[in-house]
Amino acid sequence: MSSSPANGLSELHQPIRLRTSLFWSLYGVWYRHFRVYTKTFLANATPPLLEPLFFFTAVAIGLGNYVQPGGFEGLSYRTFVASGLVISSAMFTAIFETTFGTFVRLVFQKTYDAMLGTHLRVSEIFVGEMLFAATKGAVFSTVVLLVTMAFGARPNVWCVLVPVVGMLTSYLFASIGLIVTSYVKMINNFSFFTTGVITPLFFFSGTFFPIKGHYVWLDVVSNVLPLTHPIEISRALFEAHFTPATLAHVAALTAYIVVCHVLALRRMTQRVLS
Amino acid sequence: MEDSATHSAPLIIARGLTKQFGELKAVDGVDLDIAPNECVGFLGPNGAGKTTLMRLVFSAIAKTAGELTVFGLTPMEQRKQINAHIGVVFQDNNLDEELNAAECLLVHALYCGLDHRTARRRIAALLDWLSLTAKADSRIRALSGGMVRRLMIARALLNSPKLLILDEPTTGLDPQVRHAIWAALRDLKRQGMTILLTTHYMDEAQQLSDRVLIMDRGRIILSGPPNDLVEAHLERYVLQVSGVPTVPPLDGGIRHEHAGDADYFYAAAEQPLQALHERLAAKYAILRHANLEDVFLKFTGRGFNE
Ligand SMILES: Nc1ncnc2c1ncn2[C@@H]1O[C@H](COP(=O)(O)OP(=O)(O)O)[C@@H](O)[C@H]1O
Ligand SMILES: [Mg+2]
Repeated sequence: MSSSPANGLSELHQPIRLRTSLFWSLYGVWYRHFRVYTKTFLANATPPLLEPLFFFTAVAIGLGNYVQPGGFEGLSYRTFVASGLVISSAMFTAIFETTFGTFVRLVFQKTYDAMLGTHLRVSEIFVGEMLFAATKGAVFSTVVLLVTMAFGARPNVWCVLVPVVGMLTSYLFASIGLIVTSYVKMINNFSFFTTGVITPLFFFSGTFFPIKGHYVWLDVVSNVLPLTHPIEISRALFEAHFTPATLAHVAALTAYIVVCHVLALRRMTQRVLS
Repeated sequence: MEDSATHSAPLIIARGLTKQFGELKAVDGVDLDIAPNECVGFLGPNGAGKTTLMRLVFSAIAKTAGELTVFGLTPMEQRKQINAHIGVVFQDNNLDEELNAAECLLVHALYCGLDHRTARRRIAALLDWLSLTAKADSRIRALSGGMVRRLMIARALLNSPKLLILDEPTTGLDPQVRHAIWAALRDLKRQGMTILLTTHYMDEAQQLSDRVLIMDRGRIILSGPPNDLVEAHLERYVLQVSGVPTVPPLDGGIRHEHAGDADYFYAAAEQPLQALHERLAAKYAILRHANLEDVFLKFTGRGFNE
């Protein structure tokens, strides 16, 4: 094995310039997740992409036949549901990435140990990870948008901005996932979170029916739920109908992202460096 | 740390270094000076605190008390500057199993801050040096334990570190592979690499280390060049026997230790042990030079102490 010790090895000892900038660190982490994910892309991406399409077929197309003609809020029912599903698919992919995915990397694969053996900061490691989740969110919301359009959703041209909203949604839910993961000791604890939090979020954030105007308490609850805001923004883009409320949703989404980002990094730093 | 004035200053200095997990002192008041180009072996039973000590050095955990500097810098606070010049081979293999060998190294090279071109060049050179070129495109799952371990070593060298940390580099590997890895590590040593090595193999410590530190329950209980340790702490010869029901009265100059069903007799000269050997009707007996393992067992105890 050490047949050519002197030459080959001294070449390896040449001093090299290390790029320790924030950008390159984030890129390194992002690239790792990208390579691992795309290595088995079909197996990874098919189920989470099929799921929103099942919902679309069953609810928007199937159940849609029984929904009031003319749909909601000036959108046909198919278009209405599509405007929610593009966002909820981004939420699901991000949540999965930073709950089960992060936990497996943390506890079983010890991926972060390898990263911590380098100059990478904990914050760089997890921002890189959330940026990868955000990338997935942008791709997922784009794919769901295109497919639902093929099946009869008719969004306004403003929907070209939907991937941006999907990306922000994923970043937000990736940070929420990290916060949850930082407390979890056993992998099956996540089921409390997915069924107890994510499922109700999915149903009560206005994906399938307008939340507003039924009950006051429901209005209040839904406005507190983080998924409501990106869905309302997406819907505004779909119908090209922008109001002061749209701006408020943008502000709320931004605030959620900032707070959860800070909390996620603080919690994961504690968890990883101990 | 580049200039010649500080060249011989210790690379790592620890004073009263302590790491506590709850009530447990995993590292307990460790004093340490590691000189540049030194290869230091940390020996100790499982749970002695070897891994924890290494993790303090590369800022994977914060110390509880005491002082620690690495390259004259402060871990945790300056982990970026420190870790840029450290390579770590972890006790548990943690390569990305989904990727192939070259991809694993590429990903790690990017963490370290290499650009794609430099990364490719160094990966090729490292794979070549460790005879892994033919496996560049193999999935990690398809590699043998020895190959994965060599790949872990290659990965730790991507950033051209000044300090290499090896946490049990050859545990669980067959003898051929262990010797091949030792040869590679000796290459590195000749090139002037500073190496911290943890192991519970005495032969490994003896083969590679300029100095061994024996750890037990978080403390360094003994330190010195391996051969000096044996000379300083043990008689030259040992008769190791098992299955002896009663031990006869011993001549002066023979020291006796008993553990499990085995008895150890130590003496400065071979002759009295030879005589004892003939008197004992042992199922199994061997008369040999005392070695590092005997020192280790003398100080960490011959029973199970985990
Ligand atoms: N993160 C941790 N939390 C709690 N206890 C720990 C942690 N890491 C190590 N320990 C404990 O500290 C002691 C030393 O462990 P370690 O440094 O891994 O020993 P070694 O590497 O010598 O086998 C052990 O008792 C171990 O259980
Ligand atoms: Mg260990």
